[in-house]
Amino acid sequence: MNIRQATPSDLMGMQACNLQNLPENYTMRYYIYHMLSWPAVSYVAEDNNGRIVGYILAKMDDDSDEPRGEPHGHVTSISVLRPYRRLGLAKRLMIQSQQAMADVYRASYVSLHVRKSNRAAIGLYRDTLGFGVHEVEKGYYADGEDALAMRLYLQPSV
Amino acid sequence: MRQNWIALAVACHLGRNFDQADKVLTSYVATLKNVPDYDFEYSEVLLYHVRVLEESGKHEAALTKLDAHSKSREIVDRVAIGETRARLLAKLGRTEEALDAYNALVDRNPGRVEYIKDLAKLKGVDIDALTDETVPLALEVLDELEKRVPKGSAPTRLALSAAQGDEFAARARRYIESGLKRGVPSLFADIKPLYADDAKRKAVESIVASFHDAVAPTASPPGEPSTYLWTLYFLAQHHSKLGDQSRALELLDVALTHTPTLPELYTLRARVLRRAGAPHEAAMSADRARLLDGQDRFLNGKAAKYFFNAGRIQDAENRLGMFTKKDAPSPGADLEDLQSTAYLLQAGAAFEREGKLGHALRKFIGIVKVFEDVEDDQYDFHGYVLRRFTVNVYSDFIAYEDRVRQHPAYIAAALAASRIYLRLHDEPGLATKLVAPPAESEAEKKARKKAKKDAAKEKKDSTKAGGEEEETQQQPSKYDDPEGAKLLATATPLDEAAKILRPLEKLVDRADVWAVFYDVAVRRQKYLQAVKALNRLARLDKEDPLLHVRLLDLRKRVSGTEVSDVVRTSLAALFPQDVASEVFTSQYLQRHSSSPRAVTAVARAASSLTEAEELLFGLFKPEVSLDIKTAREALALLTERKSTRRDEFAAACDDRFVLSTVFKSVEEQRRLVKLDEAAMEDLPATDEVAEK
Repeated sequence: MNIRQATPSDLMGMQACNLQNLPENYTMRYYIYHMLSWPAVSYVAEDNNGRIVGYILAKMDDDSDEPRGEPHGHVTSISVLRPYRRLGLAKRLMIQSQQAMADVYRASYVSLHVRKSNRAAIGLYRDTLGFGVHEVEKGYYADGEDALAMRLYLQPSV
Repeated sequence: MRQNWIALAVACHLGRNFDQADKVLTSYVATLKNVPDYDFEYSEVLLYHVRVLEESGKHEAALTKLDAHSKSREIVDRVAIGETRARLLAKLGRTEEALDAYNALVDRNPGRVEYIKDLAKLKGVDIDALTDETVPLALEVLDELEKRVPKGSAPTRLALSAAQGDEFAARARRYIESGLKRGVPSLFADIKPLYADDAKRKAVESIVASFHDAVAPTASPPGEPSTYLWTLYFLAQHHSKLGDQSRALELLDVALTHTPTLPELYTLRARVLRRAGAPHEAAMSADRARLLDGQDRFLNGKAAKYFFNAGRIQDAENRLGMFTKKDAPSPGADLEDLQSTAYLLQAGAAFEREGKLGHALRKFIGIVKVFEDVEDDQYDFHGYVLRRFTVNVYSDFIAYEDRVRQHPAYIAAALAASRIYLRLHDEPGLATKLVAPPAESEAEKKARKKAKKDAAKEKKDSTKAGGEEEETQQQPSKYDDPEGAKLLATATPLDEAAKILRPLEKLVDRADVWAVFYDVAVRRQKYLQAVKALNRLARLDKEDPLLHVRLLDLRKRVSGTEVSDVVRTSLAALFPQDVASEVFTSQYLQRHSSSPRAVTAVARAASSLTEAEELLFGLFKPEVSLDIKTAREALALLTERKSTRRDEFAAACDDRFVLSTVFKSVEEQRRLVKLDEAAMEDLPATDEVAEK
């Protein structure tokens, strides 16, 4: 298993992995947009054959209503193919991405959205990765389900 | 203003005019005043400058610049600094410093395999090309690294590739037993590449077999139930991989009796059944896995894939629809919208097997379209990148876009679509026949009318209830030509095929690609291109059956035709002029009498049916190791050529492949599916199972 920064040639593998795993999907354009805007903060996990089996697609929030001078990162999507669970890949991907957010963009925290009903993911974010619930966003998903907006505050890097 | 500078630098760099790019960047940076701290754009420009220097071979200058600007914290991307620095130090022969730099990178990201390989290279070992002499040093390097990083990461696994004999057995035992205890589902996929070495395969088998005995419920003390389960799961994959599907199914039956609620057991059972030639049973098993966790899209997609594989297209689409947008014209349309090449390939292949070539072609061309769109996307980002100053990733992006069609999905789609275009060319009436509705029997007509009436009634009811239902249904589909009728109607199928194959010419070197390349070229009377494709095939493998049958084909086509001397001499080099075709083939068969692929390919090229039949029945000789895939191809060939011995061949296959159902009659297959479906209804409902 190899954990490394995502490159342009990984984008289709990330997109395929996302479509296999999650109900929230995007076209290639959106992946390209992430890569060409914030190239340092997305990571992939690949198997021995070079297949992408997990990824974190992340961005910086440019147009938030936060006070200026408080940039933060946002996880657009993270997932690991079912057969590749229990290897701690999600955690390793998340840590690499967070470090890059802090180094390159001086992010003070990282945010993400998760379906209120997705207990497994909420458990991972809260218990393994240390995220806390910031607020509930009513009807965030296309089907009307609420999202939990979660945050993790980052240690400024030395 | 700033964008013009950077645009100029990028243009020089892409044109490989490094000195000019260097000058432009130097002048540009000199114009900047009062750059704020931690400025991402400035950091990108400096890194880009270092990159230009490195690519032009000025390693010393690149390193000096990198060090100066990273110490002053003007370059903010730590990963880029670390990687560039380590690489430059290594290139400059400053080994000790380079090692420190790589160690720092490993500390930051212990999961990155390239760091470890580069580090080992600095210590004098090429991990990818080990020799008996370098193995001990490789293990030393990896063991040292293992102490620095979290347990079980890349160095531990790399050491398994390096170690031999007892050393391997000891390390493999630790690695595998720990994985089984943790219940790592991908453990076998991780270990499988080691099987290329027979001794390692045997060692793994004996490790897992004895571990199985130690953790079985009958052992004293018995092992953890979950450890036992994952051990059975591993062993089943092991035996299936080695071709013993019965043993794999036995192991899975034991596992399923032990724990009937683990979806992985059913998905694996599906894979084993598919390998055994029982696609319907495989689909039912994959669907059971899905029912155990209805919220999991991965399991859902697997079930759909197996339904496609069994030719049950509607069942597959219904499953997929559980996760696609409800307002999409169809599940497939939504997936196509999202550029799912996996879906398009599976559906296309299923339609092709069913003989619905229009539908199939439509899906394959859908994939070609995805790649065209991805290629076009780049033009929208040129200006954007300059505004955002992300010029480093941009040069990688441009390079990637140039070879985007190297992707396996594009290759598969281009080949499959080309094969359909070839059939359209070879059988001129085919397109019309495919599009025209088949003649209906009286009973079918009645059934259709009734269905139409029912549908109308249902629609009326739902309109009453839902109100808006009708409107959404009336929306015109943006998915034009779902049945591919327009595609089939092309007057120039060969040109269409040539167009989608062309990008592959410089991007891939694969036998199946060159074969289809030849097939298209020769029919377009582009004989030079055709012999070129055969030469490329020969370079890959002179004995490939794909080449043999095409040599026969080319000789037939050029005899009595005006072709250039180059074509004649090239052909003669591969197929000597004084050797008769019959002799050429009989010599070939003598060399490859035990290869089912070779025999089937020659049978396909045979002009007389009796000859083809004789060859194909030869596949049952004891020295031929006939596989299910080739057997199905052979059967398809006999069916296609209306052989009277078709059923005899099918019965022989059915005897040979004990677990298979694909060689049974259609009625018998249907009966078996019904039985399986009935068994399925006896299963507890999903919620009940999940509760346990």
